[in-house]
Order: sequence, then C-alpha cells, then structure tokens
Amino acid sequence: MSRANASLLLAVTLALCCCAPVGVATAQGAKIDARLTPERLGAATTVSLGFALSPRNGHELAPLSAMQLAYPANLGLATSGLGLAYCSPPALEATGSEACPANSRMGSGSATVELPLRIETVKERVSLELFAGPSPDGYLHVLVYASGVFPVYAQVLLSGVLERGQLKIAVPQIPSFPGAPDLVMTEMHLTLGGPLTYYENEGGRLVAYHPSGVGLPSSCPAGGFPFAATFVFVNGDQASARTAVPCPGRS
Amino acid sequence: MRGKRIVRGHGFAAATLALLAASLSVAAAHAHAARRPPPAAHAASVLNVHDEGRLRFVHASGSVIIDEGKVSGTFPGSVRVRFLYDGEPQVSAQFTIIGHGGSISARATGRLSSPTSVTPSFSGKMTITGGSGRYAHIHGDGDLYGVYNRRTYALTVQAIGKLPY
Repeated sequence: MSRANASLLLAVTLALCCCAPVGVATAQGAKIDARLTPERLGAATTVSLGFALSPRNGHELAPLSAMQLAYPANLGLATSGLGLAYCSPPALEATGSEACPANSRMGSGSATVELPLRIETVKERVSLELFAGPSPDGYLHVLVYASGVFPVYAQVLLSGVLERGQLKIAVPQIPSFPGAPDLVMTEMHLTLGGPLTYYENEGGRLVAYHPSGVGLPSSCPAGGFPFAATFVFVNGDQASARTAVPCPGRS
Repeated sequence: MRGKRIVRGHGFAAATLALLAASLSVAAAHAHAARRPPPAAHAASVLNVHDEGRLRFVHASGSVIIDEGKVSGTFPGSVRVRFLYDGEPQVSAQFTIIGHGGSISARATGRLSSPTSVTPSFSGKMTITGGSGRYAHIHGDGDLYGVYNRRTYALTVQAIGKLPY
C-alpha cells in the first residue's frame, strides 16, 4: 500500500470512528444511556444510567462477571451527601433491604435477566436498590441488592467500589433452577440520588430531609459529560460502550 | 444545593486556617529574619504552631467544595478553602489565609478515613505555597488534621507544626 493510500485509509478510519454516534451499540453488543436530571451546572442532580447487552452474531450472551462504569471525574459523587451510613452485607442478604439504615440508601433501579431454557427464553424483571457498604479501605463502597420474584425467586448482592471517575461492580453468578443455566442480565437501569429520605438528629429528635444529590461541575466539557461502561463476561469476553450527556442549552 | 448547618466541632477549613496561620507566622518570622544582615553562624529558630478553624460551606462545583471562615491561633484571619474529594481516600485542599499584614497560601493533602460516616476525619501534610505583604517570603510545612461534614459540607481543620524560620 502506498503512503498516500495508507494516509487515506487512516483518515477514513478516523473519520468513521469520530462520526460514530455516542450511545449506539458497539461491535461487542453493549450500549449505554446516561441522563442528568435536572442538568444545571453547579447544582445537584440525579444520575441515571441505562445499559443493554445483546448477543453477538450467532452467539448467546454470557453471564456477566464484572462491570466498570466511568463517569466524569469531577462529578460530585463522593461529595453528594449520599450514603451517610452503611448497610451490613450479611444483614442485607439475611433480611433484605429493611435491614439497611435509611441514610445508607443511595439510589434504585431495575434490571432484566433472561433464563435461556430449551423451549424458550424466559425474561424476568428485577428490582435494584443501592446502598452504601462498609469501607475497609477508605473508598466508598456501593451495594446493589437485586431481587426478583418470578419465575426465579432470588436475591443477589452485587458489590462495587467508587474510585475517581469510575464505579467498579463485581457481578456474582445468578443461579436459576437445578440443571438450568445461570440467569443472564440483558438490561440494567441505575439511578444515583432521586427521591430519597434521610434522617438527622436535631435537638434530640430525628428530622427527615432529602439529600441534595450529585453535584454537577460549574462548567461543561466540550462534547458534554462523558460516560462509559465496560462489561466483562464469565467466558472472558468484554463489551464496551460510551455516551455523553450534552451540555445544558446545547442539546 | 448543599447543607445549611455548620457542623459541630472544628472545621477542616478552620484547621487549615490555623495551620496556615501557624505557617504564616513562621514564614513571617522567616521573612523578617531574611531582611536582617546575614548572620555568620545562626541557629535556626522554630515556631510551634497549633491553630484551628471552623469553616462554613459556600458553594460547590462537582467534587470541589468551597468553604470560608475565620481561623484562630498564631495567625488569625479569614480563610477560603478549596477542598477536593473525588472518591479516592486521598483528599486535597488549597487555601489562602488573609490576616493583618498579608496573606498566606498553602496546599495540603491527607487521607480520609471512615468515608461512610457523616463526619469522616482526615490527616495529612500541609505545605506553604506563597504569601503576600509581610509574608511574601513565607515557607514551611506541617501536619494537618480535619473533619469533613458530608451533610453540611463544613470543614474543621487543625494545623500543628514546628516550623523553622
């Protein structure tokens, strides 16, 4: 290939990469959607993230083993005032979300899991509750409590750790029926913040209040607030997706 | 958007201010010494600093919190602190104390413990980065201790140091 052709090929490749719309499924079969509600610079907001995983050509989607969510490093997740108490994982697994202090609740969500049986693939809706977990290492830890009722009655605890600009979540195996394959997650929606009620002691009595939420920076980067996700599957495959929330007034 | 109340106890900012005050005092002494004719062989003086301050939340921008308040101690004055907490256990602060005769600026880094409590504490090192007026040539460093209130975003800071000048 001549140097001119190589340059042309490189230019076309770069152009195609740069023109790929954000939020669209990558070649690995993952897509991500992000929302900031409300989106006012310098003010508190609620962060909503949605993910969808789809099987590759001719393959079945494998169960997840981990996911890594990247967010703008200057987003005020750590300074959100969410998770002013922590929930004990053993208590959460033993008794459910009622075991968790109100001030440990950080958000909610939902997920769709699939059970690939021989005759058909059965879908199940799962509710998600986010709590702050104990911190043995100085990092903020997040617990995602997933509970489904039908056709598989199960509760699963996902654990994550918040680092600068990213949230890493480990996903355990989700068993279904004896002899049947594990459940496979195909969609997930997570909301950090939202209509939460916390309590604080004022003059010896508990007073309810609503935590303000995640602080948005006072300025918006060119191209909007970037979000990305990387999914790791039990078979070693990976899938990635990215998106950006347009700056206010530019959407 | 943030909390309205000032947290009990001493704020990080206050501690920072105190530390700054101490550092400033040391720096001032150092600057004063610098104006004298150079001594032939002079033993270094040491200023023992133990200051603190209690700061109130002013505003935030993402992972950055701005607090202001008064600092008392060796170098009393008003202070403005830019506190960064982005999820890592390591937190950082930049601050300027304005007192009689000039201002002192410093930066500090520390490690936050018990991040899921309402008032996690931190400790670390502080370094003077500059000054103005009488403290134009100030320098030095010390230890910084503080408390960050995750509900009100108030900071309480305590600065301790033996600063040679």
